[in-house]
Amino acid sequence: MLADNKLKRFHQLIDDFSYEELIWINGYLAGLAVNSNPLIGVKPNGSENKSASTKKISLVYGTETGNSKRVALQFAGIARKQGLNVKVTALDQYKLDDLKNENYLFIVISTQGDGEPPPQAKLFYDHLHQLSLPLPNLNYSVLALGDSSYPQFCKTGEDVDSRLDAMGSKRILPLQKCDVDYDQDAQQWFEQVLKFFQQQTGYDVETIPKVETTHQPRTKKFYEGNIKTNINLNDRGSNKQTYHIEIDGNGVVEYEAGDALGIIPLNKKILVDFIISLTGCDGNQIIETQRVEATIEQLLTRHLNICYLNAAVVKKYAIITGHQIPDNRYDLVDLVHEYPLRDASQITEVLNILSPIAPRLYSISSSPMAHGPEVVHLTVSRHSFRVKEEQRYGLCSGFLGELPVGTPIHFYIRRNRSFKLPLLDKDVIMIGPGTGIAPFRAFLAEREATGATGRNWLFFGDQHFTTDFLYQVEFQNLHSTGVLNKLSLAFSRDQADKIYVQHRILEQATELFQWMKGGGHVYICGTKYPNGKDIENAILQVIEQEGHLSQEEAKNHLKQMEQENRYMKDVY
Amino acid sequence: MKNEKLSSVERIKMDSDGLRGTLKESLNDEITGALQPDDQSLIKLHGMYQQDDRDRREERSNKKLEWLYSYMVRLRLPGGFLTPEQWIGLRHIAGEHSTGTIKITTRQTIQLHGILKSHLKPVLKSFNTMHLDSIAACGDVNRNVICSAHPMQSAIHEEVFRYAEKISLMTLPKTRAYYEIWLDEEPLIDKKEDDPLYQDRYLPRKFKIAIAIPPNNDIDVFTNDIGLIAIIENNQLLGFNIAVGGGLGTTHGNENTYPRLGTIIGFVDTEEKTLKAIYEIISIQRDLGDRSDRKLARLKYTLDRIGIETFKKELASRCGFSLEHAKPYHFTERKDYYGWTQNHIGKWYYTVFVENGLVRDTERVSIKSAFLDIAQTGKANFRFTGNQNVILSEIAEEDKPAIEKILVHHGLIDHTNTSSAMRKNAMACVAFNTCPLAMAEAQRYLPSLISKIEPILEKYRLQPEEITIRMTCCPNGSARHYAAEIGLIGTAYGQYNLYIGGDNLGERLNTIYKVNLNESQILETLDALFETYHTEKNNHETFGDFSNRKWIKTNS
Ligand code: SRM
Ligand SMILES: Cc1cc2nc3c(=O)[nH]c(=O)nc-3n(C[C@H](O)[C@H](O)[C@H](O)COP(=O)(O)OP(=O)(O)OC[C@H]3O[C@@H](n4cnc5c(N)ncnc54)[C@H](O)[C@@H]3O)c2cc1C
Ligand SMILES: Cc1cc2nc3c(=O)[nH]c(=O)nc-3n(C[C@H](O)[C@H](O)[C@H](O)COP(=O)(O)O)c2cc1C
Ligand code: SF4
Repeated sequence: MLADNKLKRFHQLIDDFSYEELIWINGYLAGLAVNSNPLIGVKPNGSENKSASTKKISLVYGTETGNSKRVALQFAGIARKQGLNVKVTALDQYKLDDLKNENYLFIVISTQGDGEPPPQAKLFYDHLHQLSLPLPNLNYSVLALGDSSYPQFCKTGEDVDSRLDAMGSKRILPLQKCDVDYDQDAQQWFEQVLKFFQQQTGYDVETIPKVETTHQPRTKKFYEGNIKTNINLNDRGSNKQTYHIEIDGNGVVEYEAGDALGIIPLNKKILVDFIISLTGCDGNQIIETQRVEATIEQLLTRHLNICYLNAAVVKKYAIITGHQIPDNRYDLVDLVHEYPLRDASQITEVLNILSPIAPRLYSISSSPMAHGPEVVHLTVSRHSFRVKEEQRYGLCSGFLGELPVGTPIHFYIRRNRSFKLPLLDKDVIMIGPGTGIAPFRAFLAEREATGATGRNWLFFGDQHFTTDFLYQVEFQNLHSTGVLNKLSLAFSRDQADKIYVQHRILEQATELFQWMKGGGHVYICGTKYPNGKDIENAILQVIEQEGHLSQEEAKNHLKQMEQENRYMKDVY
Repeated sequence: MKNEKLSSVERIKMDSDGLRGTLKESLNDEITGALQPDDQSLIKLHGMYQQDDRDRREERSNKKLEWLYSYMVRLRLPGGFLTPEQWIGLRHIAGEHSTGTIKITTRQTIQLHGILKSHLKPVLKSFNTMHLDSIAACGDVNRNVICSAHPMQSAIHEEVFRYAEKISLMTLPKTRAYYEIWLDEEPLIDKKEDDPLYQDRYLPRKFKIAIAIPPNNDIDVFTNDIGLIAIIENNQLLGFNIAVGGGLGTTHGNENTYPRLGTIIGFVDTEEKTLKAIYEIISIQRDLGDRSDRKLARLKYTLDRIGIETFKKELASRCGFSLEHAKPYHFTERKDYYGWTQNHIGKWYYTVFVENGLVRDTERVSIKSAFLDIAQTGKANFRFTGNQNVILSEIAEEDKPAIEKILVHHGLIDHTNTSSAMRKNAMACVAFNTCPLAMAEAQRYLPSLISKIEPILEKYRLQPEEITIRMTCCPNGSARHYAAEIGLIGTAYGQYNLYIGGDNLGERLNTIYKVNLNESQILETLDALFETYHTEKNNHETFGDFSNRKWIKTNS
């Protein structure tokens, strides 16, 4: 980009400079470049960029369920041992305008929701995409955690990676995507990071050693099980259906209490048949989409999401079929009914705009140590809601609830390494309203099986004592045998004013705080809204009140516990 | 007698600190709907039973839920009387906290079923505001005192009726536990709760007292531990004949248990003497009753063990007077006077047929709604009979049409008139789904069985006969089946033993005739019996007397 004459002058200038000097100049110029940008007003700090050992390396993570954090912290530990000066930051703590000062930025980030960044990393993600200035002197690489079963595999990682590239930053290692069994892929990516710094003595990005580009992520293991038991735990007269489902893994299933199980639900046959007949296409016709090749009937049943299509898909459908379709979310069957295809052949296009069926996760409510390594138990609450006066059920929870005993079922394990039991002698406080009870049923069974000496305290809540006390008899037995030291219950609708677990938490503030002070581990599981937040607030209030702390101090106290893995959430 | 080994219930009573036990803790235990085992025995003396819905056991267990525990509350209602205001309150409580069905028992009181543990205190508090309680309605104490139900029958009914109240008060336990546990009353600091009658042991077993006004034995006076028979001469109450040792409960396969009718041991005149005699009969049973074997603990066994004469002597020495010779009396019937009747001062009474005492609305007849409407007029009291029926009482001439209108509107008059004689003389106990001792169905089954018996009666033109048929679903006899012309006792699901030969006045027990009959066998057997009765009976010979003469006497 330099004009010839300028380039000439430049070469004369550096003619007799040594290799080291060149590197230094490079850094210096880079600094100047940043400095000359009106948006940024910092002096280049050349001095610190002299040797590998003093290089400023930033390792940031964006996590929802803690995997990215684990990976990041683990890597930072190793890196420091190798004399690399690594600064680890969670993305919600990351100061956005530090970006421009970074030289080396490594990002470990997961994807959540429907291809969205983890809430914790949202600010960073948005900022990155709004930022207009280039980041030419930033060297980076992204490790993306994800789940290949989701339509948008590692979307967030991809976005961050390509965005930085677009901003002129230097991708020193290609994006590494990881599926839910991410350990080895992450490990390899990091070894290459280290390799890079070992070979890389100087500061000249041009001299980056060529590392072999990273491979496709290892795909996770799928299990072929059978439904062994499927019972609705709620009694007659309840507003709810909560299914206790036991799956026979037909062999050892590798999991631990606290992990979740992933399932890709099937669409209802009647719907599929209806779509096929409405569109007049041949269900047995084989079609190839980006991901699979299968008959239309199979695609609609096993692979593609036909429920509650999002706006983007609906728009594409409108274009294909040439209809005016009001912005909204529809089921495919409604679309083909109200806005028919021009002719059957259009089905191919339509199938290609549909995204795969997203997996659903369910906390496992069994423990291999207590229930045996070949079975997995789930506690599934059927989502029910009305769509224009019509009673509808959640796709997967509805699907699971109806599975008869013996049905084969395809699933995988989503590990959650942070949501694990502590040492045997530690006290455990488990707060799990509704289906949040699932992992704690597993925990308690395991505490019993392992003869843990620490005390156990369970908070459970639901609507009615007589109909909704999930696993009542099991917990009564654990209570009478002394495994479950305390069982605090909140049944919201058994009295005039609603009572929830957070009320019980506050009632028991003093004792609860003693357990916490004594090194107790606190776990929360269940739906994020409303429960998750209210429970966390209650706990903060307990710390504040019993520890005589300010709000701020209480928050820090909880953060501290979180860092010591004594406060863990698995909320969804 | 010396009780070598006390039954466990005895220990529970004595260690209970005046029936308190750990009831408060049990009530606060939020992880179960049940009570601690000992408290399950104690709560009976507070008028409640822990039960569970036996229809739901298996299903609940599959759902990993404990059994559906709930509580039955039985009111203490001497003589079985409620004001209209009390009925409205009761009806409200039943709707709010129980199954909604109001059960009229064979002892003139009310039971509510299906009350959850957490609802017990609210229920008893509401009852208390209506001046109603359930103290000593169950358990090893004197139970609800019953009394001939029909005021219209005699001018001195009111006077006799008062005795039920007085006896009930005299025999109430003295402990304040009921008020502390259920009504949150402050415990007495230095609680002095001497109970000279019950002491800390209470009675060895349940104890029952009834008062009959001849000529009607509607409350089956002889099936009670103490039966008082009012002796009336030209509309003056002279006093009472006293019968002791009645009781029906037996145990399958236990030879030592048997049903027994009370034995008349004499007559007392004044109120003071009457109460004293009752008090001391109870104290004898307290001291001499069997406390090691509950199956043999009722007064009837005590009496047969020590002998009538010894018993009379003991009573005389405890009373300081001996009973006079029994006075003549005559029972001619044992029934409710269905429909409208008027008493000596012109008040009106309507006796409603309430099948098995179940007050509820069905598609055929809406008794529950009718009673509410009637109560809301404030123009009629509610009286309960020993046959599980209701007498709308003390209705003024001018209010009669209004009440009649309501009765017609809800189909009660039609129901009472058109139900067959047998149906109206039938009783069945609660049994399933709440009674833990039930072996077969009773109140849920007898109505349909009668529907199948009616055609047989018709076949032999016996429909008008007032034959008493009573069904209980274990040998305990809650519906007094031993004192019926036809008694059916459940032995297993769908199986009954058939008893015949009892009279229809409650003065002669029936005898077992056939065992383990299923429905069709019951019907075949009755068909044969009725046919013979129809062809061979003397005129005016009741079915009970006939079958006794024909099949029982000859056998023995
Ligand atoms: C409600 C009632 C039957 C009805 O349909 O009306 C009834 C219901 C029960 N009776 Fe009874 N008895 C009822 C009148 C009787 C009678 C008839 C009477 O007293 O006129 C008898 C026969 C007379 C007698 O006492 O001998 C009677 C003899 C029993 C017995 C046997 C007693 C014995 O001496 O062996 C038991 C079992 C026991 O006491 O151990 C019993 C026990 C029971 C229990 C409480 C079962 C239990 O012990 O757990 C039943 C509760 C069922 C339920 O869910 O309500 N019930 N029971 C009657 C309530 C009367 C009251 O208001 O207090
Ligand atoms: C880590 C983790 C652990 C979990 N553990 C458990 C567990 O142990 N037990 C458990 O029960 N769940 C658990 N979940 C939740 C579970 O994964 C599913 O999210 C839940 O079962 C709902 O999925 P679904 O397919 O039944 O409902 P979906 O079909 O996905 O619908 C979900 C919601 O979307 C809306 N919706 C869907 N379709 C329509 C429509 N046509 N019109 C309007 N609104 C619509 C409704 O509000 C509905 O409730 C967990 C989730 C996570 C992330
Ligand atoms: C509700 C939910 C939605 C998810 N959506 C996606 C997704 O769209 N794409 C993807 O690749 N992974 C998705 N995942 C998988 C996570 O990214 C994966 O579990 C990752 O290990 C989580 O890492 P973390 O614990 O650091 O958040 C989703 C997980 C959950 C619980
Ligand atoms: S007779 Fe037996 S079955 Fe019937 S209510 Fe009494 S105890 Fe229960």
